[in-house]
Amino acid sequence: MSELHAAIETHGLVKNYDKVEALRGVDLMVNVGEMFALLGPNGAGKTTLFSILATLRKPTAGSATVLGRDVVRERSAVRQHMGIVFQEPALEQKLSVRDNLLLMGLFYGLGLKAARARTGEILENLGLTDIATRQAQKLSGGQKRKLELARSMVPNPDILFLDEATLGLDVDARRSFWAQVRQFVRSGRTVFFTTHYMEEAEVADRIALIDKGQIIALGKPSELKQRIGGGVILLATEDDPRAFTWLTEQGYKPEKSERGILLVSAEPAAILPTLLTSMPVKTLRAEVHEPSLEDVFLTLTGKALDSSEAMPAKPAFTIGAAA
Amino acid sequence: MRGLLAVIALDLKRLWTDRVRLIVGLIQPLLYLFVLGSGLGANSLMGGGRYLAYIYPGVLGLSLLFTSVFAAMLIVFDRQVGFLKAILVAPVPRPAIGKVLSGAIQALVPAVVLLVFMPLLGIHPSYLRFLGLLGAMAMAAITFSALGVATAARFKSTTVFPIISNAVLLPMFFLSGALYPLADVPHWLKILAHFDPVAYAVDLMRGALLGTLFFPLWLSIGVLAGFIIVLTWLATRVFASGEDA
Repeated sequence: MSELHAAIETHGLVKNYDKVEALRGVDLMVNVGEMFALLGPNGAGKTTLFSILATLRKPTAGSATVLGRDVVRERSAVRQHMGIVFQEPALEQKLSVRDNLLLMGLFYGLGLKAARARTGEILENLGLTDIATRQAQKLSGGQKRKLELARSMVPNPDILFLDEATLGLDVDARRSFWAQVRQFVRSGRTVFFTTHYMEEAEVADRIALIDKGQIIALGKPSELKQRIGGGVILLATEDDPRAFTWLTEQGYKPEKSERGILLVSAEPAAILPTLLTSMPVKTLRAEVHEPSLEDVFLTLTGKALDSSEAMPAKPAFTIGAAA
Repeated sequence: MRGLLAVIALDLKRLWTDRVRLIVGLIQPLLYLFVLGSGLGANSLMGGGRYLAYIYPGVLGLSLLFTSVFAAMLIVFDRQVGFLKAILVAPVPRPAIGKVLSGAIQALVPAVVLLVFMPLLGIHPSYLRFLGLLGAMAMAAITFSALGVATAARFKSTTVFPIISNAVLLPMFFLSGALYPLADVPHWLKILAHFDPVAYAVDLMRGALLGTLFFPLWLSIGVLAGFIIVLTWLATRVFASGEDA
């Protein structure tokens, strides 16, 4: 492990489902000890890539290794060293918290005594001791996710895969979940995750944006934002379609978003006054903010991420009342 | 090996938390034995008592068949809710084998409970015959469980699986000679029975208990062993293909 630099490495990874190309030659390297996020809209290939790395699917072509082991040929060895939290609950709802962990220990080949010891250790570390005897089905959403994380920790993994692991959780529960994940990363281990929430992706060391089965951008969050440069103007008008058409006619490249019209510009503060005075429709609200990952994705692909619940970037300034 | 034991332990733990399933599993065979058996037996040339004893191995077969196949439905449920992924990503070699064995054990529990009714039916087997019956029951349970696991592994919906299984299981049961001697049925029915694993399992149990066999002993054991190997291999392949299945 000490000489290994790549926790994950893929070369020309292709996955086809009949005639659908879910992955079209993905090349990726995730370093050991890195917190790595994979972002993309529904159908971009995120789940397929995740499933291949997690040894749940086989690629049609290309290769992938996790911790230096091939995900197809050395599947069992990969599984010994990874922990996974799925988007769906992977708990036996009628069993207690303790029994869920204990059984997972047995699944990973621990003897009963060792599994009991490991279960006690994890319950203690993740603060689950008080609810150890409670049935999984009687836990709150946050507690269930914590138990999922605890389950993934049973094999004492070197790499943790998280697939939309905090979907549907409230802010506090998400914060608590990520605090545990960060503790895991601090011990020099790797986390590979997909998420819906932009502010969660921001904490990643590096992010890969995936669309139509290909990695379209990869880098640190700050690097990705710098790629589109300047800033973003968000406009809410009385007639957005008309404003959109007008902006296009004027040579701008507006993008539609759920919150209004987005306009990426090298100098947003400079062009905003002109826009406000020249546009043929009344502006209800105008915001200027630094580019978010959402904006990066929008600029690169012309479409939005699945971020209906994403927190918008904090505007540098706002003009007008809330629309 | 530990991984396989874990798969079995998980399912048995689940069975223990869902004891209603155990009790309900006993109702159907008891109805067949005492209600259908008494009704048909009253008009049978064998006489009521002898008829009940005759169908008793068939009722054991019924219990084993339905319990083991419906135990496999947990696989479909687990796939639907996402729990199966946790099993698939664990480094358990061939979890399908664990599923086959756990299904067989789950099926044997109510079947063993049914054994207490033997004296009521006037069946008093020797120790040797009793051991033979237990062996035949175990073989039948593993065959039916393998059938259930191999089928369930391919299903994604808990709604469709029971409908399909019922449509297949009942004809298999009725064809098996569980309720009537295969020796006396029309020729075409005899031919069909040769393709039905339930017929071999019931015949094996009846042979062990009552000493009468329709199929040669070696053929029944060979056919059931063949079914176990092929079905378990098929199930293992489906499990190994993970989410690609």
